[in-house]
Amino acid sequence: MIYLDSAATSLQKPHSVPRAVSCAMTHLASPGRGSYTAAEQSAELLYSTREECGLLFGESNPENIVFTSSATHGLNIAIKSLVKPGATVLISPWEHNAVTRPLHSIPQVNIQVAQSPLFQPEATLRAFARCLTPQVDVVIFTHVSNVFGYILPIEEIAILCRQRGVPFIIDASQSAGSLPLSQEELQANFIAMPGHKGLLGPQGTGLLLCRSKHITPLLDGGTGSASRRKTMPQDLPDRLEAGTANVCGIAGLRAGIRYVRQQGVVSIQSHEMKLISYLAQGMSSLATTFLAEDSTVQSGVLSFQVEGWDCEELAAALGRRGFALRAGLHCAPLAHKSAGTLEEGTVRASVSPFTTKVELDKFLCTLSQLAKQGAF
Amino acid sequence: MVYYLIICRSLTYAQRTAKALERAGITSYMTRAPKHIAKEGCGHGVKVAQKNLESALAVLKKAELSPKQLYITFGDNSYREVSL
Repeated sequence: MIYLDSAATSLQKPHSVPRAVSCAMTHLASPGRGSYTAAEQSAELLYSTREECGLLFGESNPENIVFTSSATHGLNIAIKSLVKPGATVLISPWEHNAVTRPLHSIPQVNIQVAQSPLFQPEATLRAFARCLTPQVDVVIFTHVSNVFGYILPIEEIAILCRQRGVPFIIDASQSAGSLPLSQEELQANFIAMPGHKGLLGPQGTGLLLCRSKHITPLLDGGTGSASRRKTMPQDLPDRLEAGTANVCGIAGLRAGIRYVRQQGVVSIQSHEMKLISYLAQGMSSLATTFLAEDSTVQSGVLSFQVEGWDCEELAAALGRRGFALRAGLHCAPLAHKSAGTLEEGTVRASVSPFTTKVELDKFLCTLSQLAKQGAF
Repeated sequence: MVYYLIICRSLTYAQRTAKALERAGITSYMTRAPKHIAKEGCGHGVKVAQKNLESALAVLKKAELSPKQLYITFGDNSYREVSL
């Protein structure tokens, strides 16, 4: 199989990741709950993972780094901490359901979308500045569109939020591990990310970087600390980490983060951008591609449509030939609506540090055959 | 042997404390707080030798790490709170 669905999850991992998971499963106990070696080593694993994460994302305080089960989990914590019933929330036009559904679950929330065209960061900033009225209570922006790979100008947006004193939540699902991302520079209230995409860890892992004064736990339960209290501790990370941690997953996540740090995020970004340019060039006569004129505003994601093919049928035909891509709305109907592709959807190719040009050549050859033969 | 036990507000805080001391070359080790002094139940702390206490507290102050409580122990399972 040739895997081109890394925007969904990283299937190819560094060898160190499954090794770490397997070792943790048989050697590490419940962190912070015991005074024996297996529990202490487990606690040390969690702390060193927070440290590694802090080094990668410019967060010097390990207490501000919370383990979650996914970016969706982290976004739910962030949104439910900051967005109260009746609040006005400004979002980008490229948000995933992981943002929009939690917002819709809060009564009477007024969701405003800073509409602007795809791959135009200056227009994005203008629309954002125009929509950032005094009525806005919270801003939520994705760093990168999961459908189109559009890299949004979150650094500038973070500055505007700080200047206006508006809390800012960043969805880093598609950028963590693939693009430079610094909490030290962004100073966002929350940055949510999965552990299993660009960070190359196992599914079921995620991270939430917290700098918010208002934090509402989604889960209440045991933390191995302040056990006589009837409510969750005030201090992070305990406040958001009820229940036994996913130690095996976190062991794999640490191995993934170490790999990313060894390779270098800039090097990974450059590799993925080159592959997307190569892929788009090869597809120019076969498909309608959603490609940025300026390659620096597109990550390792390329959406496309082929004339005569339904996107799901094309992805299924590619699947039968050994190519893994995702089609449809990618859990981001707002993004498709904003790009004008809500009705037909797109097929999405997404690359990873392990994707090669040879694999893309094989994909292009098969896509060419399918495009010529048509759906029937 | 006389030790001081620095009680911290969480496990992660105790880990930060231990790392800061380690970076400064001060030997310490982490421990769960004895039940009778963990007032909220289940606490975490860092033990340092008596001779290192002064430099340890200076390191923690510089690192902006605030101990929650401080106890002295004489190795006989008795703990006496010491004012910070």
